Amino acid sequence: MTSKSEKSYIQSSLLSDAPLRADGRSLWDYRSIFLETGIIAQANGSARVNVGGTEIVAACKLEVEDVESIDGIDGGRIFCAVSCSLSAYPHLSSAAIDDIQYDLSQLLNSTLGHSSLRPSNLSILPHKRSWLLNLDCIVISDVGNIYDVLFMAARAALWDTHVPITRAIEYRAPQRTSGDAMDESGLDTRQAAQAADFELKDYWTEGDILDGRDRWPVCITLNLISSKHFLDADPREDAAVPLRLLLIFSCPNSQKPLLQGTRLIGSGEIAPSEFKSLVEAGQKYAMALTKTLHAKLQSDSLQQ
Amino acid sequence: MASFDRRRINGPEESRPPVFEDDEDAEQISVTPKTRKGRANKDIRPIFLTTGLISQANGSSYIETEKTKIACAVYGPRQIKNAPYNEIGKLNVEVKFAPFSCSRRRAPLRDAEDRSISVLIQQSLLPSLRLELLPKSGIDVFITIIENDGVEACVASGAVAASTALADAGIEMFGLVTSCASAMVEEEIWLDPTAEETVRARASFTIACIPALGTVTNIWQTGQLTAEEAICCLEACQTCCRDIHNVMASALLNSQAAKCS
Repeated sequence: MTSKSEKSYIQSSLLSDAPLRADGRSLWDYRSIFLETGIIAQANGSARVNVGGTEIVAACKLEVEDVESIDGIDGGRIFCAVSCSLSAYPHLSSAAIDDIQYDLSQLLNSTLGHSSLRPSNLSILPHKRSWLLNLDCIVISDVGNIYDVLFMAARAALWDTHVPITRAIEYRAPQRTSGDAMDESGLDTRQAAQAADFELKDYWTEGDILDGRDRWPVCITLNLISSKHFLDADPREDAAVPLRLLLIFSCPNSQKPLLQGTRLIGSGEIAPSEFKSLVEAGQKYAMALTKTLHAKLQSDSLQQ
Repeated sequence: MASFDRRRINGPEESRPPVFEDDEDAEQISVTPKTRKGRANKDIRPIFLTTGLISQANGSSYIETEKTKIACAVYGPRQIKNAPYNEIGKLNVEVKFAPFSCSRRRAPLRDAEDRSISVLIQQSLLPSLRLELLPKSGIDVFITIIENDGVEACVASGAVAASTALADAGIEMFGLVTSCASAMVEEEIWLDPTAEETVRARASFTIACIPALGTVTNIWQTGQLTAEEAICCLEACQTCCRDIHNVMASALLNSQAAKCS
């Protein structure tokens, strides 16, 4: 809990001409980012991100889903769930932690589950079976800037995900005449639309990389204080500056960045003209962040 | 998979809604018409807004726009028992979907989806209220969604209804909060989209603002937009919000006139 005088102290130092933050960063510096992928062997893709103490582990697990079931979508879908470990929020009750979990899951789901980001290689048997990608994130500790770190972890885990290669097969009774005498081998993939089942082609390889790697978005949290903004707040700055604007940008290679989600959180209001300049600033930060993460993820996947 | 509810007679564990012939035909139309059906892109559906629906509440309102019907009741400011002293009042927004409000029946128990709408409506209303004048008190806003035509429309209409009800309850505020949803369908901005239009759109953009002060209190966007398109949506919604503000003001004036006469 921060007292009123501490809040006003932090606010006045941020608003001064030469802004000062507790650890000497500039207004637009992130704390050191530690990123590791492939940490969980049983998951199809996993990552751990630690930004100045805020640590999140994300893992993807693929399961087969029937397209005709209530939630199934032809072509596969992504479902995200965030859970907060009790050690991350020692001062909150479990009901409050449930609420935080739910809000974070909703944000991830509505952004990453949107059809514009859906990967193209999640289908197994068209109109019958597809992959359901379960993205589970665990918040291990939270010392500020939870949204940015959550999206970084989700993005890295999705980057690391490999989809097992499947092959559609069709069962046919021998000597059955169904028009022309077709080749009755199980390798007849031309008949995939009528395929009844599938099998894993190769048990030993991990599979194809999940499509749409460069489309996964990053989140930029702009903490707003009067007409200024700053990035990566630590917990005391979070308490002193409650209003923030979340901008979730997807920066595919060599294309214009696209806004995949926007949220205004906290008690406070902004003027519409401010929104314009904030979006432009956020776009710049998003491109820079995507570039650095990309470099790190690229080198990680080359090493594997 | 219904959870066992001891207080009610539970139906069969697994049941699905019936599929009617017209629904099936509608689903098969995957190529949808380019122009909007029934109204212009920038037209919103006519709003029916009235106050005084719930007599035992301090303030209440009912809003209806075509297929979205929402009733809102405000209780407060009242004392928050069992809570430590807080010098700024608390705003508590609770949203409840009636079980018959959606095409698939919703459980009467509190659902997780209710919370996301409550959070958005609370975010919209919070900056407009003078909560620093209400220490140790809380204001409860209960929103019941009687018929639902898409989540964005619920959030927008819910915020409008809640702000009207708060004004009806006599709670001091900086200005009325109006809210408007929009959808980006291909290259056009359609204001106040219905549920089907939102599904077709590639992005939806909802804002809540206080026209009296010219500030924006809530922005919620999903889907894919470029930065310039987002700014255009914001401006379109803002212009529309001024019209909605007139509707709210006249509804409040009419109800006050009716009370006095």
